[in-house]
Amino acid sequence: MAGEPMAVDYYIPLIIFLIVGAIVPIAALAAIKIIAPNRPTRQKRSIYEGGLRPIRDAKIQYSVQYYLFAIVFVIFDVEVLFLYPWIYVYANRAMQNFMAFGLMNYAVFEMLLFILVLLIGLIYAIKKEALRWV
Amino acid sequence: MDIIDSISQFATQEPALFALIIGIIGAAVISGVVNVGAMLVIWGERKVLSDFCNRFGPNRVGGRWGILQLGADAIKLFTKEDIIPGDADKGVYVWAPIVASMATMLVAAAIPFGALHIGGKDYPLVVANMDISAFYVEAALSLMAIAVFMAGYSSNNKYSILGAFRGIARMIAYEVPMGVCVIAVAVMAHSLNLVEIVQSQTLWYAFAQPLGFVIFVIALITDLGRIPFDQSEAEEEIISGYNTEYSGIRWGLLYFQEYNNALLGSILLSLLFLGGWQGPIIPIPILDIISPLIWLFMKVVIVLWCLIWVRASLFRLRIDQVTDLGWKWMLPLSLLNLGWAAVVGSYFA
Repeated sequence: MAGEPMAVDYYIPLIIFLIVGAIVPIAALAAIKIIAPNRPTRQKRSIYEGGLRPIRDAKIQYSVQYYLFAIVFVIFDVEVLFLYPWIYVYANRAMQNFMAFGLMNYAVFEMLLFILVLLIGLIYAIKKEALRWV
Repeated sequence: MDIIDSISQFATQEPALFALIIGIIGAAVISGVVNVGAMLVIWGERKVLSDFCNRFGPNRVGGRWGILQLGADAIKLFTKEDIIPGDADKGVYVWAPIVASMATMLVAAAIPFGALHIGGKDYPLVVANMDISAFYVEAALSLMAIAVFMAGYSSNNKYSILGAFRGIARMIAYEVPMGVCVIAVAVMAHSLNLVEIVQSQTLWYAFAQPLGFVIFVIALITDLGRIPFDQSEAEEEIISGYNTEYSGIRWGLLYFQEYNNALLGSILLSLLFLGGWQGPIIPIPILDIISPLIWLFMKVVIVLWCLIWVRASLFRLRIDQVTDLGWKWMLPLSLLNLGWAAVVGSYFA
């Protein structure tokens, strides 16, 4: 495997870090199996709810408002994702010279337009009260 | 510098093997550094907070400054009885602290912890020096939200599940402004690589785009779940939020990861906006090699001190105020900041 570092080489350490990140807490949890006392009773293992016996399950139906926020988040997060490839083109200085259009850089102009559309979408969502917490 | 030459030659000849070796050494060193650092952050926070409240803080274990308090706490947590609630979703409940720890290590893999100044050149201390490390770190930092949700949802406790919902709602409101701020920095730096972002800062980005700096600080505090934005574990309202049902070392692991993240987040803030390890080289033989490390360390300590200051001074916001601030103010302002960065960056960078 000689030659230029490939993109995949940067991700080898990440796997090792992921394994180490899992081993440390698993070792701690294995240690308490040995050194910590374990005498469970029904009272100890019950859910805390103000000292009373819990009423019904906690997996409640939650407000539809959460879904609205989630949908708006997905829209904006995907649009932010589009900005990252733009950086990659914009960061390339050779490409920048190639695209010089008089005063205004073409890539900057396009992205300002995109940001403007984003802002209009956001103002629409705010005016429609999609982002009002109830 | 023969050693550096031979190392860089080896790196170009055997990139996969080199990445493997760097990964193993780096994982061992960095997990040690981050964990010891987080313990010092916890100790420092208790000391500084007690100073703000005009009380003593830890002052018994390990001498006048209570430096061994964390060791005593760890022993206590390890010897506590291990209780898993009977109604909990056991698999998810057990895995939540482990996922939190894995998320932290993923962040630590790509953050440069400083640089060594050898022979007039800076050699950054980073394990995975990816082209997109700023984007990657920002994404990995938000993985903590998944651990918080796992912990809250699996506990089968009403307070926990409220904390988990609030945590997610808060996190998604600030994820977008934070990403836009990182993009604005990358526009000025002409790169998404954290090392190149630091090297491009002749003028700190905190001064080049002050609006972006303020937004990023607020979004970072939200991401770390610290006090003006700790709705997921608001102890006055919902007991302890998502970790109500956790006790002993399982709680300790979740708590510890929050401080790991606080440490890594302050390093990220120093790298992106405060010039990272850049600063005048100290002209003393050994200190000149580690002087970039000293500068970064000082900046991180100041940032952490400010985070504790914020915690001591401010009150907790309501969850609707938090989402309103995020969606209606921070997002438009961060887009404005991006426009500013794109126009200014293209002419003056």
